[in-house]
Amino acid sequence: MSDDLWLVIALIAVGTFAIRAVPLLWMRRHLQRRHLARGPQRMPANEAEGASDATEPTEAAASIPGWLSILAPLMIAAMFGVSVVPAAIDSGSAWLASISGVVATLLTWRRTRSLGWPVFTGVLVYGLVVVLDGVMF
Amino acid sequence: MAAAHWLPPKPSIRAPPASQVVTALTREQAWLSGLRDAIPLFGGYIPVAISFGLVATQAGFSFWQTVMVSTLIYAGASQFLLVAMVASGAPLWLIVVMTLLINARHMVYAPNLTPWLGRSRWWPWLMHGLTDQIFALAHIRLPQLAPEARLGWFAAAMLLAWASWVGGSALGAVAGAELTARWPLLGEIMPFALPALFLVLLLPRFTSRLWTLVVTVTIVLAIVLKLAGLPNASIPLAAIGGAALYQWVSQQTSRRSDRWGDGQGDKHGDRRGIGRHDNE
Repeated sequence: MSDDLWLVIALIAVGTFAIRAVPLLWMRRHLQRRHLARGPQRMPANEAEGASDATEPTEAAASIPGWLSILAPLMIAAMFGVSVVPAAIDSGSAWLASISGVVATLLTWRRTRSLGWPVFTGVLVYGLVVVLDGVMF
Repeated sequence: MAAAHWLPPKPSIRAPPASQVVTALTREQAWLSGLRDAIPLFGGYIPVAISFGLVATQAGFSFWQTVMVSTLIYAGASQFLLVAMVASGAPLWLIVVMTLLINARHMVYAPNLTPWLGRSRWWPWLMHGLTDQIFALAHIRLPQLAPEARLGWFAAAMLLAWASWVGGSALGAVAGAELTARWPLLGEIMPFALPALFLVLLLPRFTSRLWTLVVTVTIVLAIVLKLAGLPNASIPLAAIGGAALYQWVSQQTSRRSDRWGDGQGDKHGDRRGIGRHDNE
């Protein structure tokens, strides 16, 4: 069983890595082909290590298939929807804590337009509601 | 805690396209920025990873098996499924298929980041750390960074998140029961960092009526699907539903515009959540 388990772990690890990395190689080839199809007259604007040498990032972004670029932000929206549902679905106070955390995050983001503080405040308010609920009820 | 360059100060609700807000950083600053941006992930990952370590050892996994699952597979939902299926004695081929099916949603992540990734041979290897959360972070942050800062930023953010997941799993395998008994509330509170982070990453996308509608419907759909008992399928299904709504509304708008002789509709500038005003 132990050997079988290691085999399963290895297969899933390789498969998961392929799921994450192969589409990058495919997209690179796709962008390269589009760049070549347009002709070599446009040289890449930035050849630094971090830049795509197929084309400029904004141009390359426009070359992403439409459905793919629409799907990406909506995956984040769906992740938010899934993760905001409390573990105790039937508990009103758990929902209250989630909603309070969301509102606190939202208000802090409107003030700071930053990443860390809204998350910190959201967790703090969420935690306060959870603790208060535990103390009072 | 927050990076001052995260977003331009006080932008209007129609923020400029993220790709126009480019921040130049030295290599060290890029690494530090990546670490700083990934701190919310650290808070969100550790408690869940401790739970995983505890559940895995209780299901009969050894310490090293638990650690290697988190190191090599590094995908939360599918790891829990793997443990549950092994514990229930499911056929091994079915375990492999089901866990890979859950991870299949990751296929759309790398292509969306590719325009901002260079030709460095490190990038394909770094994709090992392309989890849901790292993708959400990178999708917003990479266009804001100067090209030479992106590799360092991504490597730092990804490595911190990975280390916190592996470290948390190891901790959970060794002392998970004791930790959860001593600080039960911590494990309940800290994971809220993840929805809070997703929300902060989403807010700049409310740039047009179309995106506000589509993002809101996608969130509601994901909540409904989760409540309906489909936690793993809800992310891809809700996103596909939202994308279908986007296409439908775009087509209707386009037809109406054609009728009035405009013909522009809501074109590609809006795809990444950038309102038409931003491109004018």
